[in-house]
Amino acid sequence: MLFNSLTFVVFFVLVLGGYWTLRSWTARKNLLLVASYIFYGAWNPPFALLLFATTALDFYLGARIARAEGPRARRGWMIASVTSNLSMLGFFKYGNFLLENTQWLLARVGIVYAPPHLDVFLPIGISFYTFHSLSYTLDVYRGVCAPTRSLRDFTLAVSFFPQLVAGPIVRAADFLPQLVTAPVLRAGQFGWGLLLMTLGLFEKIVLADTLLSGSADAVFDHGGPLHALDAWTGVLAFAGQIFFDFAGYSTCAIGAALCLGFHLKDNFRFPYAAMGFSDFWRRWHISLSTFLRDFLYIPLGGNRDGVTRAAINLMIVMFIGGLWHGAAWTFVVWGLLHGVFLVIERVVTAVAKEPRWAQAFIGQLLIGLGTYAAVCFAWVFFRAPNFTTAARLLGAMTGGGPKGDAILSTREILQVGSVTACLLFAHWNLRHTSIEAAVARLPRGLIVGVWTLMLSAIVLTQGNGHAFIYFQF
Amino acid sequence: MPSSISSFERAIPPRPWRGLAFAAALLTIGAAGAWEIRCRAWGYAPTLNDTPELWARQRRVVQPDSIVIIGDSRPFFDMDLDQLQAGLGQRPIQLALAGSCAYPMLADFANDQSFHGTVICSIVPLMFFAPGGPLLQNSADALKSYHHGTWAQRSGNELGIRLEEHIAFLRLEDLTLEEMLKRLPIPNRADAQLGPPLPPYFATVERDRRARMIDGCAQPGKLQDRVKYGWLPLFTPPPPPSYVPADAFMAAMHQAVEARFHDAAAAVAKIRGRGGKVVFVRFPVSGELKKHEDKLTPRAGPWDRLLKESGAPGIYFEDYPELASFVCPEWSHLSAPDSVEFTKRLVPHLRAALAP
Repeated sequence: MLFNSLTFVVFFVLVLGGYWTLRSWTARKNLLLVASYIFYGAWNPPFALLLFATTALDFYLGARIARAEGPRARRGWMIASVTSNLSMLGFFKYGNFLLENTQWLLARVGIVYAPPHLDVFLPIGISFYTFHSLSYTLDVYRGVCAPTRSLRDFTLAVSFFPQLVAGPIVRAADFLPQLVTAPVLRAGQFGWGLLLMTLGLFEKIVLADTLLSGSADAVFDHGGPLHALDAWTGVLAFAGQIFFDFAGYSTCAIGAALCLGFHLKDNFRFPYAAMGFSDFWRRWHISLSTFLRDFLYIPLGGNRDGVTRAAINLMIVMFIGGLWHGAAWTFVVWGLLHGVFLVIERVVTAVAKEPRWAQAFIGQLLIGLGTYAAVCFAWVFFRAPNFTTAARLLGAMTGGGPKGDAILSTREILQVGSVTACLLFAHWNLRHTSIEAAVARLPRGLIVGVWTLMLSAIVLTQGNGHAFIYFQF
Repeated sequence: MPSSISSFERAIPPRPWRGLAFAAALLTIGAAGAWEIRCRAWGYAPTLNDTPELWARQRRVVQPDSIVIIGDSRPFFDMDLDQLQAGLGQRPIQLALAGSCAYPMLADFANDQSFHGTVICSIVPLMFFAPGGPLLQNSADALKSYHHGTWAQRSGNELGIRLEEHIAFLRLEDLTLEEMLKRLPIPNRADAQLGPPLPPYFATVERDRRARMIDGCAQPGKLQDRVKYGWLPLFTPPPPPSYVPADAFMAAMHQAVEARFHDAAAAVAKIRGRGGKVVFVRFPVSGELKKHEDKLTPRAGPWDRLLKESGAPGIYFEDYPELASFVCPEWSHLSAPDSVEFTKRLVPHLRAALAP
């Protein structure tokens, strides 16, 4: 079920009505659990069984970790959880990728091997719910989270419908405590939740799908050389599209959860105003970057063992981060590029004292724009279906390619330019604050006006039913 | 073991949210009401959007012995289902799709082992033999919705139908933000390679996907001219891409068209092999568009060859004076009243073609 669908509107109204009508907290949790499985099963009912199997296994393994006597046994149960989760993810998401690469490698040494193509559907949101579930056993192992005795509560924590299929990656340690007692709605919580949902839908339906996706798709799907203006427009369009698409989903999820009395953490904090790449990853897909930091980077040694080891650790983390997004080498290159950016940034900041110009407004602006340009450069690999397309686009963007086709209308170029300028302006001005603090300062009339405009624009787009990009991950 | 109590709580901006939400909702409803009145004043009336989901909804109605209509927009506009039901003794299921290539639908029925009914397939050679592009994509989208549509999409479609039957501004072809932005008079670069615009709203669609041309298009005027003069660029094959040598491109196109003849004949043979029937129909076309189609795809070319290679019967409107006398107001489709009369006259030919 998509947030941007009529079905979800009806579903959410019914769930909200039932949830706040029921008096018993147990009954409310049961309702949320059933609703979450309906939400997920509406795509493909058998995959709901897979979701439950993953959840039940981690519930059992979490209990075994907690009960295990001695570090070796605890570690063994933790490894069992990691292995089972990653095996399932590997089979569904990376099976064909592994087979194709094995075939390629064997061909290099003269062995002809024709693997069968695994005709498997990728369960929607598998990367997200696997991490939701895995975070529980890892946190129980680390002693950050006490094991829950309620399978129902844990199942709800993994499958809670606002964040189930495209994040934020909500850790059981953050969510399970919210299931202990019935939430009490604070003043304004419901209305603010609705405004966040409106904002998220506006970002997705109006900005990502209506104003940006057409140009991005046209440019990345074009089979020949492109005019530099078109190439840049397409890449900027995708940079905006993926932000509005993903941040829109997260904002909707946070808003929907608030309406139900739950609190999810921010997943984005104005990332296109980042001053450097470490800052970017503190602002972009925060729930994934903190997951990888806590469960991969720090266990690998983090930056405790010197600069070289920290650089290697960063590259490993970004390699995994790239691969998490999709079973293709283009995603790996995207991740590794960010790894290289992070390493270079660390080396530069380690050897050079921050110059005075970097603290001035112009210096900050240049660093911010430079970071954005490098992030856009990396997006080319993320979105391009193959390296040939990526190379062609980069050639067009840098003037290194042959004279190319002009495939976008002036209207599309203006549209992308305007949205990008507004996006960067908004991120720049809000980079030191939060959306809550910014809204708290706005006059009431302006809030109503902006809210009405967003709702009207959503109605005017008539909902195109485009799936969220991150569903495929 | 540490406690797992989380103290995280999101901040709520201290504003009177209930009042603000109420005001925003009221203003939005007011704005939507004003927009609805404006759209009706422009001549729009509530009607369904012919989406892939609506197509899939009708496809699911098909029984093994059904009569189905597939093809482009011509049978979609020109075939009256009541007349067909009266004449053929069974209500056909309208599965023709505007701006699509019929071949994927034909192949889908051929591969549906349970199907042994009758297929009435419209042929517009420039569309049926399209080697790729949006025509095939539209067919693929509809088939994807049928084969892989989720329960959520189905229920969304049912809810959408109920809204579209009452709200005029829910017009995906014309009145979305995106379509309105496309109509802004902004000049393009001289060398921009842009596709021709699609026609505006000029038909109503019912639940069983019966389309009827609106009066505003059936009568001479601005709308009719806009639709009429939009066809020629749409029915002109695009030039080869700049990055593919012209001769290689033409060779690939030729190969794809040859393959389509073979595949279509094979699909017909499969359906007939199970006891089903297929009849090809060439629907009326008028004016400059007829001259254009006759020049690019003369009857002696694709039409005759398709009938010969597939062995299926065909009805070419020009062969029968009672069918050839109709004039398409905007060159490509019949008006709603004419579509009823045309279907009445077509029925005897269909019965003859489908007779054992």
